[in-house]
Amino acid sequence: MIIFENVTKVYDGDVVGMQDASFHIEKGEFVFLVGPSGSGKSTLIKLVLKQLEPQQGRILVAGRNLGTLRRSKVPLLRRNIGCVFQDFKLLPNKTVYENVAYALEVVGEHRRSIRRKVPEILNLVGLSDKTNSMPHEISGGEQQRVSVARAFVNHPPLLLADEPTGNIDPETSIGIMQLLLRINRTGTTVVIATHDREMVDRMRRRVIALDGGRLVRDERRAGYEGVEERTGYEGVAEHEA
Amino acid sequence: MRLSFFLAEAFESLRRNWVMTIASILTVLVTMAILGLVLVTDRNLKEGTTSLKNRVEIEVFIKDAATDQQVDAMRQRIQALPQLRNFEFITKDQALKEFEATLGQNAKEVLANLTVNPLPRSFRIFVKDPNQVDAVAQQFFNDPIVDNDAGTHNGVAYAKQTVRSLLGTINLVEKGMWVVTILFALAAVLLTSTTVRLSIFARRREVEIMQLVGATNWFIRWPFVLEGFITGFVGSFIAAIAVWGANVLVFNWIHNSKLDFLKPIRYPVVVQHGTWPLGLVPTLVLVGATLGAIGSALALRRYLRV
Repeated sequence: MIIFENVTKVYDGDVVGMQDASFHIEKGEFVFLVGPSGSGKSTLIKLVLKQLEPQQGRILVAGRNLGTLRRSKVPLLRRNIGCVFQDFKLLPNKTVYENVAYALEVVGEHRRSIRRKVPEILNLVGLSDKTNSMPHEISGGEQQRVSVARAFVNHPPLLLADEPTGNIDPETSIGIMQLLLRINRTGTTVVIATHDREMVDRMRRRVIALDGGRLVRDERRAGYEGVEERTGYEGVAEHEA
Repeated sequence: MRLSFFLAEAFESLRRNWVMTIASILTVLVTMAILGLVLVTDRNLKEGTTSLKNRVEIEVFIKDAATDQQVDAMRQRIQALPQLRNFEFITKDQALKEFEATLGQNAKEVLANLTVNPLPRSFRIFVKDPNQVDAVAQQFFNDPIVDNDAGTHNGVAYAKQTVRSLLGTINLVEKGMWVVTILFALAAVLLTSTTVRLSIFARRREVEIMQLVGATNWFIRWPFVLEGFITGFVGSFIAAIAVWGANVLVFNWIHNSKLDFLKPIRYPVVVQHGTWPLGLVPTLVLVGATLGAIGSALALRRYLRV
């Protein structure tokens, strides 16, 4: 689903976002991206969305080479990737219903199928009673569920979440994670960037650890443990070994 | 294109950001009103100067001794002039009548003493371009049938100095109005696009979110373009009505005015009153609406780079 081959991204001012990172994420996987702030988690997600271009290396998403993907085709790529963000990124002037419906309007769904799908997905995330609320009228956890609903309403093959529980209390976070797990069970590949140590330890899923833009650890069924103590260089050695 | 969706989005956003909407409409209104006034003034001046130009005439006086054949020959020469707009032939009787008219109340006393009509026949020649007056007039200076009398008068009469200074002024004014029109059109574009950019800047986050959800650029753009179009349409429509109203008011004021110095400009105003402002309304509305739409599309451009 996602293939990174020796990807390097350096921002203006020589800030390293991603350094020579290579990994594969298979279809249907559930992956945690961990690492401290500035370790490259968000960079990785932006690279997958083609919000950023790498200086070196190759990125393939769902079989498309992003390096040769024409700018005009970027919206098509993004329609196949559901996105959930720490700050929810809901349209502030639209109701819960309209926010979810927008993702369907964008792909040109018929009015009738929008009227069917939106209540369905809002029911799935447990927000049937907030249909006509504005984003600022509901809690952070509820906003995040709207955001998940919007990301999943098109049933994309890939769902990216950048710190989805970063602004939410721990109890609500569990609900969001369960939602993402359910989505994963439908066959959708789910990639979650987080530094929610407890969550990662509890779920025991594949963990890709980043530090200073380098991939320092890639383990199946792992916990968060150990990442922050490493310097990164050891990690590279371990990864390459 | 899903027009109904885009229109709903545009109107919704206009309603929601109503302060910005009013600001944009006012901006368009003011700039379009100024542009409209410049255009109307320009038009008035053009009409005025054209009518002045058209009144520049050459009068060629004919000796009484000239035979009908000679007069006919001159008529043919005049008809063959490439610069000719039109001409008229004034008989001795007509000349006397005109003279009577200029004398007014004293006419009877003065003319009673005349035994013969002393006034000569003449050709009045109007040329297409007042710049050609000199050249045309000179062709008749030494014609044998022209009523030249060395020392007292010249048989070819035209307002040589007046024409020259008048033309100079008119050309200058026309050039000046071009510059002013272009400057104001430019100002209108800049002012409108600045306002639009401001309102889009306030919503750049929305644009980013739309892109993340996979909206194509045109999908994002259409509601904004429609918004700009609607804003531009409303603003310039009000402006056009205002300019039109002002034009009618000023015209009526000049027409009914008892002030002497306004008399010379009555005629051109009468001419323009009937034609131009009717075309002005659609012109301004079209310009305003297009400006709004293009302004929106341009202002969005920087946020639409992926």
